[in-house]
Amino acid sequence: MSAGVLKLSRDDRPILIAALFIVVILIAGTGYTLSRFGSAPLLSPNYLLQQLQIGAFLGIVAAGAMIVILISQIDLSVPWTLAAAAMMATSVGGGWAIPVGLAVGIGVGIINGLGVAYLRVPSMIFTLGVNAVMRGLMVANTGGFAPQTSATDLMRTLASAHWFGIPAALYVWIGVSLLVAIMLQRTLLGRYIYAIGNKEAAAYLAGVNTRAVTVVCFAISGLMAGLAGVLLAGYSQKAYQGMGDAYLLPAIAAVVIGGTNILGGRGRYLGTLVGVILIVLLNSVLSIMAMPEAGRQVIYGGVIILMLLVYGRGERVTS
Amino acid sequence: MPTSPPGDFLRLEQISKRYGGVRALEGVDFACQRGSIHAVLGENGAGKSTLIKIISGVVRPDTGALTLEGVARDFRSPSAATAAGIVCIFQELSLMPDLSVSDNISISAPPRRLGLIDARAQRRRAEALLAEIGCEDVNPLARVRDLPLSRRQMVEIAKSIGHKPRLLILDEATSALTSADVEKVYKLLARLKAEGVSILYISHRMHEVEALADRASVFRNGRHIETFDMGARTTPQIVQLMIGRDIATQYPPKPPARPREPALRVADLNWETSLADISLSVGAGEIVGLGGLDGQGQKMLLLALFGVLKSVSGQIEVNGRPVRMRSPADAKSPDIRIALVPEDRKTEGLMLAMSIADNLTIASLGDFASGPFIDRAKERSAIEGGIERLRVKIGAAQDAVSTLSGGNQQKVVIAKWLMTNPRVILLNDPTRGIDVGTKQELYRLMRELADQGAAILFYSTDYDELIGCCDRVAIMYDGRIVRELSGADITETNIVASSLNIAQGAHV
Repeated sequence: MSAGVLKLSRDDRPILIAALFIVVILIAGTGYTLSRFGSAPLLSPNYLLQQLQIGAFLGIVAAGAMIVILISQIDLSVPWTLAAAAMMATSVGGGWAIPVGLAVGIGVGIINGLGVAYLRVPSMIFTLGVNAVMRGLMVANTGGFAPQTSATDLMRTLASAHWFGIPAALYVWIGVSLLVAIMLQRTLLGRYIYAIGNKEAAAYLAGVNTRAVTVVCFAISGLMAGLAGVLLAGYSQKAYQGMGDAYLLPAIAAVVIGGTNILGGRGRYLGTLVGVILIVLLNSVLSIMAMPEAGRQVIYGGVIILMLLVYGRGERVTS
Repeated sequence: MPTSPPGDFLRLEQISKRYGGVRALEGVDFACQRGSIHAVLGENGAGKSTLIKIISGVVRPDTGALTLEGVARDFRSPSAATAAGIVCIFQELSLMPDLSVSDNISISAPPRRLGLIDARAQRRRAEALLAEIGCEDVNPLARVRDLPLSRRQMVEIAKSIGHKPRLLILDEATSALTSADVEKVYKLLARLKAEGVSILYISHRMHEVEALADRASVFRNGRHIETFDMGARTTPQIVQLMIGRDIATQYPPKPPARPREPALRVADLNWETSLADISLSVGAGEIVGLGGLDGQGQKMLLLALFGVLKSVSGQIEVNGRPVRMRSPADAKSPDIRIALVPEDRKTEGLMLAMSIADNLTIASLGDFASGPFIDRAKERSAIEGGIERLRVKIGAAQDAVSTLSGGNQQKVVIAKWLMTNPRVILLNDPTRGIDVGTKQELYRLMRELADQGAAILFYSTDYDELIGCCDRVAIMYDGRIVRELSGADITETNIVASSLNIAQGAHV
């Protein structure tokens, strides 16, 4: 696991390419704003910090998505896990708001994990079903109207306050990132995650408790969705229907752009971090360019495909 | 290359190839003639597979030249090699199990009418090719999945003949065949040879090589050692060329039989319809073989003893204490300590894309942990110890385990389990597809582990191994142990007789 800093392994190459692409986006965007408005807002620290603050929500979701992808599963229940956590947190309110939100996330994650590990339902189907169930439950809970409750002060602070000039949400994201990176690199759990993603049968026969690890991974993914939901509710003052819809595909895209193998077993957390930043900056540059929504979608999808094509080269399957 | 007779069909000059830090081939010169059967011999890791892959366009050499009938060629893909008349039958079957025999035979270029696949022509083509190799009884419309292994391999051969090979490569292609089918392949090869086809023949079975080949080349450690006409060397000489040293006694001596504390005791084990009333004990320091025909429940017994199978009934005792195992994690836990070297190292034994180091420690990772963290220094020294103990031939411990040869991969699987310090070691045909030298190392290791007090239960499809290694042998038939042989009774005659469940009426 201990890849040298200078040695460019096959896991590092996509990260480097994505990082270079970020630079390209910044240069292109700055060129555009200089020629149009004669200013370079993309390069101002305030603007970048603001982007990272927005990126924090996506980044936290992506951290969870990555862990599940590493064991060659997928969690499609993120949108409504996130929304449910946010709604429950705001409706409970007070000191219990955040713990309840996180508990909702973990709870949904554990259900996902049990379904995949013990009932042996393919995760793509099971989590999709759970997403629909959560959506139904939330609609029933609110009667189909936007929830009237609002976020607690602590939630607002965590999502939008600035400490020492840096958005608080960014601290949360950094904290999550450190924990996940250390978990993947240095702990037994991390090693087992990679082993299961590589060959579940071999990991099982080596005495790895593959079911428990699977449940834990989905629980972490749920927890991350819950955390993102709590923060996002704080950021927008309240929870709302469909608040998680915009997070599922970008999170998976960020993970894959960062070089994590969509079939599991390979990838570094740093890549996911870079992937999130890339997606956030790309979105932001496209909106500065006042690109219409349709064009944004096309470019956005095109970039994801392009990046994967670039990685795919020289990665032919060998026997 | 000293001289090149005009009959050379294929020539390789100074071919080298590296995988990661491991040198697979180094400066290899090689030639094979038209209308001749040329055996390629060597241990696993000698470079045979790489040689074949280069010839058949699967991998490209780092350096060196390949000439076909005097013309330099550079195959960029297997299909380019096939177009040049080089056809390879791999030991891992390349058929699609859910397609029919005729679909498979014409998979790369199905006959067409008006742009659509002509199913009737395709079937006729399959019939003709199957008839050519003497397999008229295979129904071209049958799904490959429904055929027995030997027939599948024959379909594979029919498919390769359909490419009109000028150089046919058989890589352990006979290892899955029944003896009747082997005869058919012999006839086919003789006919192709008479038609001027060159044949490269890779096999670990020396008697096949002696019966078939005209010439042989020996490889060792990625180098071409010698090419000679068959008959110019005796079998012991050839083996010595392959392993580069004299073979001492093939099996380590057995200790005299004596009563032993049973480390593993099994009573009345039943599982579905595959295991019936199994009672068996393996003493500490003892090697007990499991014999019998393939598929008589031996593999299931090992899996049952490793906690893989659900709802196994009966008692299992380890060191005199009854144990219940619901998973391999239970089986390897400190109070039980059972290890299993599984049947298929590529899918069950190893995470192929992960490093040698990660594979070595995956089963014993808990021992290198402080809290949830891995103590890297401790892990590293254990890895070094494991590699050294089994003399695994590697470039760097961080290389992917897939870069190793089959024999070295198997050593990694075994080393992984030795790190858990097991009391009971279950071995599921551990020497399958492994070369002579590594086999002998494994035999010695087994005896060494037994002498250190481990109880070993050893399933093998090779009678010689059971006779040479085991203190006792339990023969299974139809899910039951039908006979236990020990001491001088462990003979080929007895094993074969009990495997067929003849010459005794006690069990039915």
